[in-house]
Amino acid sequence: MKKRNRSSEILGPFMAFAVIFLLATVTTPQFCTLANLRNQILQICVTAFLAIGATLVILTGGIDISCGAAVAMLTMSFAGFCKFWGMSVWMSMALTLVCALLMGLLNGVLVATVRIPPFIATLATQGIFRGIAYMINGGSALNRLADVAEDVFYAKVFGFIPITLIYILIAYAAVYIFLKYSQTGRKIYAVGGNAAAAKLSGINVNNVLLVTYVLAGLFTGIAAILMACRLNSGSQTYGSGMEMSAIAAAVIGGASMSGGKGNIVSTFIGAATVLIVQNVLNLNSIPTSFQYIANGVMILIAVSLDIWRPQMAALFKKRGTKPGVDLEA
Amino acid sequence: MEKPANHEVLWELKNVTKVFAAVRALDDVSIQFRNGEIHALLGENGSGKSTMIKCIAGVHQPEAGEILYRGERAEITSPIVARKLGVATIFQEFSLVPTLSVCENIFLGRLPRRGKGGNGAVDWEKMRSDASKILAKLGIEINPMAIVGTLSVAQQQLVEITKAISIDASLFIMDEPTAALGQSEIVQLHALTRRLRDEGCAIIYISHRLDEVVELVDRVTVLKDGKIVGGCTGENINTAEIVRLMVGADITEHYPKENNTRDEIIYRAEGLTTAQGAHGASLDIRCGEVYGFAGLIGAGRTEIARAIFGADTLQSGTAQMRSKQIRVRKPHDAIDNGIAYLSENRKSDGLFMNFFSGPNITIVKLKKIMQRHFLNLKTERSVGEEYIRKLRISSAALDKSVQFLSGGNQQKVVIARWLHSDAELFILDEPTQGIDIKAKVEVYNLINDLTRAGKSVLLISSDLEELLAMSDRLAVVKGGKILSVLNAAEINKNQLMEIILGNHIIDEVG
Repeated sequence: MKKRNRSSEILGPFMAFAVIFLLATVTTPQFCTLANLRNQILQICVTAFLAIGATLVILTGGIDISCGAAVAMLTMSFAGFCKFWGMSVWMSMALTLVCALLMGLLNGVLVATVRIPPFIATLATQGIFRGIAYMINGGSALNRLADVAEDVFYAKVFGFIPITLIYILIAYAAVYIFLKYSQTGRKIYAVGGNAAAAKLSGINVNNVLLVTYVLAGLFTGIAAILMACRLNSGSQTYGSGMEMSAIAAAVIGGASMSGGKGNIVSTFIGAATVLIVQNVLNLNSIPTSFQYIANGVMILIAVSLDIWRPQMAALFKKRGTKPGVDLEA
Repeated sequence: MEKPANHEVLWELKNVTKVFAAVRALDDVSIQFRNGEIHALLGENGSGKSTMIKCIAGVHQPEAGEILYRGERAEITSPIVARKLGVATIFQEFSLVPTLSVCENIFLGRLPRRGKGGNGAVDWEKMRSDASKILAKLGIEINPMAIVGTLSVAQQQLVEITKAISIDASLFIMDEPTAALGQSEIVQLHALTRRLRDEGCAIIYISHRLDEVVELVDRVTVLKDGKIVGGCTGENINTAEIVRLMVGADITEHYPKENNTRDEIIYRAEGLTTAQGAHGASLDIRCGEVYGFAGLIGAGRTEIARAIFGADTLQSGTAQMRSKQIRVRKPHDAIDNGIAYLSENRKSDGLFMNFFSGPNITIVKLKKIMQRHFLNLKTERSVGEEYIRKLRISSAALDKSVQFLSGGNQQKVVIARWLHSDAELFILDEPTQGIDIKAKVEVYNLINDLTRAGKSVLLISSDLEELLAMSDRLAVVKGGKILSVLNAAEINKNQLMEIILGNHIIDEVG
């Protein structure tokens, strides 16, 4: 977690990002233009927030595949608060965040207290969340919520800095400090690294898991609100497949699926990488189906790299060493 | 001790060199392994023992030199080739499938089948009876149909050994086979090993426990930094000589015991009971005392320790720390009351392999490195430096994930964690398991440092010599409770073994 690791943890994802950025620039003339890049800062926002949640959960050795469906349900709740209950945008946001925290808590209880494997628990809640999203307003989207909502997303600070960039900076800085300098952050790494050792070190493993899933819920909530504000609407189809982008971002950023390894700065680089790939596919009018495939392939590559990292390091260092052989004499 | 006449050389290494990166793990080593001989390889962690056996087992291929089998050059390109040449290896790590039965594990990859060509369905009856025969022949009482995952670690180790033996082999390589075994299983394993020797097999035996080496083996070779530094055979094998060869003149006294017991009682418990196997254990430990737990595997030593520490939930029982009633429901409560628990298996529930040494040490008391609501990473680093210096941990440990450290250094990191927690009662569960003799002596010195400072140690060890030498009082544990408490100075190893074993084990061995 200290010096040596930090630089090497960021270097790998950054190299991948740089290569893809270069490829994008070369292959797609419209990519590296001011207008397109400016647009990407708006594009990355939702994924970037979902990726924070995904990283936190993956650090504990878990996974959250419910966050895409949660976005759908939360945009519909937000829209419902605005349109049916006639609440102000701010009040609706607050209530939406409460819902998001409760949804995170549900995941946390299922994983920590009921002890359902995270993949299964969040697979189930994914279905539940998507179902509730369809229940609200009988399955139709809710449009034109409030004019001020769009300002939340499109406003510019000093007339030229997109406000979404500020949101991202604040959130990532806060999570960076939380993971690196808080007791709970350290305990998240400990639980992900070795849950049995964490228990014997006096850490309340259940509480740490609960806190992690609730925090993931919080960031999913923020992502959902930003999504709803951007499109000034709520829809049952929003967020579909976004859990893939979020997980891909975390994993490309070097988070280890077995837990305990990863950092939030790299996750942002991962999110940017995922975004560029999607953007390039879009710019070249390649159908959405391929974007799903691209996300899937990126996850596979990143996880494979994580699994085979020690062997590859050994390969580079010393020729002729077989994979899987420990080097300690 | 009668040996068969065929004392010929079965395997021979001639000028073998194996290099990892820049390290010469084996440096121009020549050695012979003979039929009908138990040959011990000794040396500190990293001295090249494991590399040597891995060369014979086909895991590694040497860069230079040759390996001879019955006098002819053998190219051991893979473990499969080694097995065909009659090499059976019992590594420290199990190669068992926990969800399968004992007999399936023994015959894994060569299950007996029905039909003429042996292509039919699995012949369960034959497999079961064959497995029963092998187990009976070895004197191991395990149901061949039991699921391996439900067996104790010691029983699994015996299954592992049975599996290796069931393959027709002429050379048995045993890498710390007794690390997970209790006294009665060790006696059983030794009997087994001797029988294999008497049948004319060659045996390579690696162990950190000198007492069993002295008892068991016919020839000792000591390795250091990839070179053979000496050896002895037959009557010349004794602890003092081996220690001298292994560490040079550094260590004059193997067990540097100090008596620091005071009258005041630091910890007292009455009737500790858990669902996991503590059944009404009562004990009292004095300030500055080393209180040893003696007992067989499965007697409940670890279970009582876990009950004291709150790792298992207490069903009944009370505890006092310095005459003050304490309630320990979780490890957290125990830590708050100054109790530390160094678990038996540092890899599975001790170390955080994703952390460097510093975070591994501070994790129990993060409060101590807090500064205005934030972790002070500079303080953490200096804490790491401090313990690395104090405990003489390899200085590379500061900026290295603990997974790359040797067993001894890893153990010291875990000990440092509990020192940092300011505990007063240290429960040390097999603290010297799998670490080399130099590191062991350092652990003993640490125990002395603790007791000198008035702190107390509850020592659990399957190494009876160590337990006797380092304890002030010994509690005999059986069935999850303490049967009697002995003064360690008043008994010797044989008496202790008899007390622990009772009479049943002597019948078993015959």
